Amino acid sequence: MHRRAALIALAAVAAIAVLVWLASSGGPRAPQPQAALTEQAPTPTPAPEQRIMLLFAGGDGLLHPELRSVPLPAEVDERIRVVLRELLAGPGAASRLAPVVPYAASLEAVFIDEQGNAFVDLSAPPEPLAGSSTELLLAYGVVDSIILNCPEVKAVQILFGGREVATLAGHLDLSRPLALNKRFIAGS
Amino acid sequence: MKPKLTFLLTLAICCGTLSAQETTGALEFQFGERAVVAPRFGTKVEVVPVLELVGAEVTYSQAAGAWGVVLGEHVLQFATGHKVLLVDGTLHEAGEAPVPSPGGVAASLPYVERFLLSPLGLRLEPIAGGYRIEHGARFADPVTIRPAVADFGTTTTLVLTLSRAAAVTAVEGPGGTVEVRFADAAPQLDTSAPFRSRRVRSITRHDAELSIQLASGIGLLSWRSLDDPPRLTLELGPARPTPVPAPVQTLPLGDSGPRPIVLDPGHGGDDVGARSRDGLVEKELTLALARRVARALEARGYRVRLTRDDDQTRALTDRTALANRLDALLFVSLHANASTAPSVTGAETYYMSLDGPSDAAAAATAELENRAGQTAGEPTALDLILWDLAQAEVLNESAELALAVQGRLNALAGTRDRGVRQAPFVVLTGATMPAVLVEFGFLSNPDEARRLAEPEHQQQVAEAIAAGIEDFVGR
Repeated sequence: MHRRAALIALAAVAAIAVLVWLASSGGPRAPQPQAALTEQAPTPTPAPEQRIMLLFAGGDGLLHPELRSVPLPAEVDERIRVVLRELLAGPGAASRLAPVVPYAASLEAVFIDEQGNAFVDLSAPPEPLAGSSTELLLAYGVVDSIILNCPEVKAVQILFGGREVATLAGHLDLSRPLALNKRFIAGS
Repeated sequence: MKPKLTFLLTLAICCGTLSAQETTGALEFQFGERAVVAPRFGTKVEVVPVLELVGAEVTYSQAAGAWGVVLGEHVLQFATGHKVLLVDGTLHEAGEAPVPSPGGVAASLPYVERFLLSPLGLRLEPIAGGYRIEHGARFADPVTIRPAVADFGTTTTLVLTLSRAAAVTAVEGPGGTVEVRFADAAPQLDTSAPFRSRRVRSITRHDAELSIQLASGIGLLSWRSLDDPPRLTLELGPARPTPVPAPVQTLPLGDSGPRPIVLDPGHGGDDVGARSRDGLVEKELTLALARRVARALEARGYRVRLTRDDDQTRALTDRTALANRLDALLFVSLHANASTAPSVTGAETYYMSLDGPSDAAAAATAELENRAGQTAGEPTALDLILWDLAQAEVLNESAELALAVQGRLNALAGTRDRGVRQAPFVVLTGATMPAVLVEFGFLSNPDEARRLAEPEHQQQVAEAIAAGIEDFVGR
């Protein structure tokens, strides 16, 4: 997969999302045909709840799993969105764990290429991060959480603010997709 | 003419006798009293029987996807589908790639002679139905040239760093060119680091020469050949009436001392790294510690170089490149860690992780090949292949070095053992020698940061790292 193509595709996804949002939220709308009272509009079947495993930072500087039940769509890109939404929301209220992304990040876009590489675009940190431990837990917390719950994904590249970065804190090579790496999960 | 095309044409001319032998069926190779029949595979020939005939040990590394050839002190590494190979640790561009075959790997006869047999001091002589392998390489060992240019007010300095010492001269040529001539080596141009200059238009290779095209009115003012690393420095500026200058100084080529240990104080300049609650800054701490480690190693008789000796910004890739250029014995990058959890303490030592999806690596290779040379400072296809071929070879040694250093750090009172780990760190990418990154403590833990600020503790940590290095070297 050419990363440049992935970035273009990400931009295209973002552009389409903006268009859809504009079309659905503003501007004059054509009158919609009324359905007959006797006919019920088909309601989408809610995604079945499934258990997912999320990885959060422990006080030992390693990743620790937390299980959570959430509606999980069938489409892989939607599943990635759900996993990342839950991951970015942080550990449960009673947990002693900490978020792996140590700032209020949001997921901007997701793209998957034909080789199974997922490209996820997170909002950039407000200030430089420090420490290889911080960098490793962020990267593999995201990468491993996605791949463990979406086996179709072979590797994940994290973009920040729509850009690929060589490294986030001066250590880990983030310039290409990272595969599952359980070395930083406690007990592995 | 493009260098690669020139190279291929040179191959075709030099190996004209070989092409006459390229027929269908197997070829017999004789070496001394022994002989072997190597099957043909299309226009290529099976490589393994030929190399085993001359007594080389041929292995295939699944992890690196690369072939290794060892004969005496020579080590060759190459991979199917890649046009570059490592000859005794130096990267060479071959212009063509070996291919997978029923016998493992096949290559053209020019490739076999030029890149596999010549480095072993052997050549091919045609005989009826095949070739006789004889001692005496037809080709001199190639030398790779990495150019770097800096424009100043009215002059420009062009530095051509050579992969090995070679007899070389520079003269002004026709049409505003400078010709760099190699007496006993085939030059190859490393184009992975593009340059910009107002006075140097291009650098191209023609057989055993480099041709440097200068801007109008610019000439060669002086040149000098220097060692450690082997390099040629050319001063360029307004052309003089007498066009052929004599060299200002020629220093003797050859090894000027033992291979150095390169210590890399992490971060620096704009990149401050981690910071403790009390204001201790990682870039300052790593430099202080590196100086202490250097003194401890020098006291043990080692030669040491630092990637930075003051508060300057250095690209991660430049740090490894320096170690490669110096043909360093070891590369040790020094860092202080930080965690979002203040409770985390301890020391850990990393070496390179090569794991990853092969298709992703292949895709990355293709993508990098597409943009190779477009953006300075970013990894290139050569960097990646260097990483694949070279780092895999030294991976076990890197693991041993990491274990040795970590073992000594663990012996320090009050230092928690976080173990030896692998991770794809940028600064370890492409190192052609055993390379590790040491995280000697957490600045995010107030107690550990306080200890790391104490000169006595710094000295203990430095002595432990130096002792670990010595344990590895003397193993």
